[in-house]
Amino acid sequence: MERKAPKRSADPAGVEMLEIAEQGNLDSVWERLEAQQPQCGYGQLGTCCRICVMGPCRIDPVGEGPTRGVCGATADTIVARNLARMAAVGASSHSDHGRKVALTLKGVAEGKVTDYRITDTEKLTAVAAKLGIAVEGRPLPEVAGDVAHVALECFGKQDDEPIAFLRAYMPAKRFERLKKLEDDLLASTGARYGLLPRGIDRESVDILHRTHFGCDADPLSLVLQSVRCSLADGWGGSLIATELQDILFGTPRVKTVRANLGVLEEDMVNLIVHGHEPILSEKVVEHALSDEMQQKARDKGAKGINVAGLCCTGNEVLMRQGVNVAGNELHSELVIMTGAVEAMVVDVQCIYPALADLAACYHTKLITTSEQTKIPGALHIQFEEHRADEVARRIVETAIDAFEARNQGRVYIPPQSEEAVVGFSVEEILKALGGTVAPLVKVIADGAIKGVVGIVGCNNVKVRQDAFHRELTAELIARDILVIGTGCWAIAAAKAGLMQLSTREQAGPGLKAVCEQLGIPPVIHMGSCVDCSRMLVLAGALADHLGVDVDALPLVGSAPEWTTEKAVAIGTYFVGTGVPVHLWPVPPVLGSPAVTKILTEDAKGVLGGYFFVEEDPRAAADRMEAIIAEKRAGLGL
Amino acid sequence: MRKIFVDYTRCVACKGCEIACAVEHHPSRSLVGLVGDARTQVNVRVLAVEHEAFPVSCRHCDPAWCMDACPAGAIARDPDTGAVILDPARCKACGMCAMVCPFDAISFKVTHASPDGRETAYKCDLCVHRVREGRLPACVEACHSGALAFREHAELRRDRATRNLREYLLGERAMPETFALFRELRRREFARRREPAP
Ligand code: SF4
Ligand code: SF4
Ligand code: SF4
Repeated sequence: MERKAPKRSADPAGVEMLEIAEQGNLDSVWERLEAQQPQCGYGQLGTCCRICVMGPCRIDPVGEGPTRGVCGATADTIVARNLARMAAVGASSHSDHGRKVALTLKGVAEGKVTDYRITDTEKLTAVAAKLGIAVEGRPLPEVAGDVAHVALECFGKQDDEPIAFLRAYMPAKRFERLKKLEDDLLASTGARYGLLPRGIDRESVDILHRTHFGCDADPLSLVLQSVRCSLADGWGGSLIATELQDILFGTPRVKTVRANLGVLEEDMVNLIVHGHEPILSEKVVEHALSDEMQQKARDKGAKGINVAGLCCTGNEVLMRQGVNVAGNELHSELVIMTGAVEAMVVDVQCIYPALADLAACYHTKLITTSEQTKIPGALHIQFEEHRADEVARRIVETAIDAFEARNQGRVYIPPQSEEAVVGFSVEEILKALGGTVAPLVKVIADGAIKGVVGIVGCNNVKVRQDAFHRELTAELIARDILVIGTGCWAIAAAKAGLMQLSTREQAGPGLKAVCEQLGIPPVIHMGSCVDCSRMLVLAGALADHLGVDVDALPLVGSAPEWTTEKAVAIGTYFVGTGVPVHLWPVPPVLGSPAVTKILTEDAKGVLGGYFFVEEDPRAAADRMEAIIAEKRAGLGL
Repeated sequence: MRKIFVDYTRCVACKGCEIACAVEHHPSRSLVGLVGDARTQVNVRVLAVEHEAFPVSCRHCDPAWCMDACPAGAIARDPDTGAVILDPARCKACGMCAMVCPFDAISFKVTHASPDGRETAYKCDLCVHRVREGRLPACVEACHSGALAFREHAELRRDRATRNLREYLLGERAMPETFALFRELRRREFARRREPAP
């Protein structure tokens, strides 16, 4: 019989577990994709509108059926509205995460939240200084309170000025460009188009409003608002999440971890933290590692407690606490199938509802904790910042209690795990460079490094797991292109062993020499998906150093296995910042030639950044190399 | 004889035909009425073959394999429309019709038409009640993309030939470019899945 597993995953541990799933006839995301075939083309093309109940309307892509919805909306309008809504949801998810961090910092500053503290005072003063908040001679909680206040103002202020975080962090030339664009569009068309975000919440609400029945029908206007809303995420919500998490939990430092299912321990209580936020998982890690809990686990016959991460919660505790990571999105079912997981505790985002039924087939407790993510069949332990310690203890105890019910006969842990050097905050990168971006600029100018590609995003079950991530990354470093990135890509690269110092042997000669000199791998883990903001900050530092706009730099972005609306927001704020972005799979826009053209062609002239689609890793690398060459030529390199 | 002809290259896999068929054959005649009702009869199924979608339903053959094979005499031809009609009251659920149908167009379950709450065969009835009134079968009416046509073959052939000739002779694309690209990308996505694992 033909083996399905190797076609479904490029990760050997994934393949092993998929074979076990097949033998055991276990349901999985791969099986559910097959069961969903054929999938509706209207949805894939973006030409299905469900915005009002005169609909739903579908615009036939073949041109046989109606070309307008009941209200008269064309395919262009419908596609642009649907895309805008995707960007709004993605931006809202990141930003709402950022809001919670800001509220926690506020609570800590005011002494109302006592289970957390300000861990990184250096980062606090740096962020405050950047925001123009006085630091000298002031007590730190007061400074923290001001930082939290400025952050929260970015969410809720009502004037039309650009938000403070964007104003403080966005490179000068990019800010001027966007401002000028707004002015030029007004002058040339007489109509107002906005690009600079006025409020993080406002830009999402704006999209919900303008995509309501009978509002904005102009694809260009809808796309530009999607850019504004996404910029409010990248230079707002996500950036706030990253910066304030660093203040609360510490700015990531370089460290070594292990990645893949092999990090599970056969004779220990295995506790998986999954989702996106560090607020709870930091506490879970802290309590799980406490002597008291380790002893409790030993009392139950386990050797101790082993915490491992999944997805971006995994990335958060990996970056700061050096917690090993069990896998990325497509591993979330496979990890339970090892039969060795006592508890999987989740917060928000990218958590398959299917996990509850799967966990029920084992002794595994699926524990939901967020008001915003409840799953039927899971155990809900409500998390609240002001009683974080208590909740974390209960979660760890629940995991320990589950250990006795484990059926050792069903346990199989694939042996694979790779070492990875991680923890590259912008601060750590600057430290490796000796304090400024000048050495990086120099090696790029010399051509030792041709350019930088930032790879982000998810797994997508339509793409062989990690295959695009692995092949594209390997292709790029071999061509002397430095690869940085976040999210499930970062976990894929770590699992593939691409984040080791020895990976430089696979790099081109120029990149290899730079890596040797700086003592870094050629593939750089910059954190979770909200930490895509770290890439923006780095790009901004390069642009400001050279006194150019970001679109002049030899930078390219990519989301080669993307799945979520958050990825739409990330891709769009990269584009809005001036970075060309590769996507695979194709977003649901092909039903509108006009929107497709705006995103892939017109955006280039207007924003400098634009989207392109490529399904083959090598061809994608070719295209990126060509873009980098074009930018280098533009800089006279 | 008019038949339902399928142009699978135009099928978008929206399954609008399935829903329309289900409503048409449900006693409530309403979408809300059939939600959660396991007896609902869906006579057309959009099946996936790699990247292509194909709405499969009875071809109303003449002579019909199923009719020849049915020992209970449960399958007969409608004289007006030529449709092959299955009478669940006579059906003994022996399965012969399903075995011989070259298109696997026959299914079994307890439908609203099944007598005594037992499983019987069911299949497309060409919406004869509609066709007699001069209306299109429900699936054909529902299909927006022109994947389904209920026509005389001669007419259909002439139209298709003309359309194809316009493409060959005048270079007119029958299919919008982005839709052609979408189809091509899907084809390649599935081809990639078929490739041997590296
Ligand atoms: S908004 Fe227009 S296109 Fe959308 S469902 Fe309503 S009538 Fe149809
Ligand atoms: S059920 Fe099958 S054999 Fe019978 S008429 Fe329909 S397609 Fe032909
Ligand atoms: S309604 Fe038409 S396009 Fe939709 S699935 Fe049926 S045949 Fe295909």
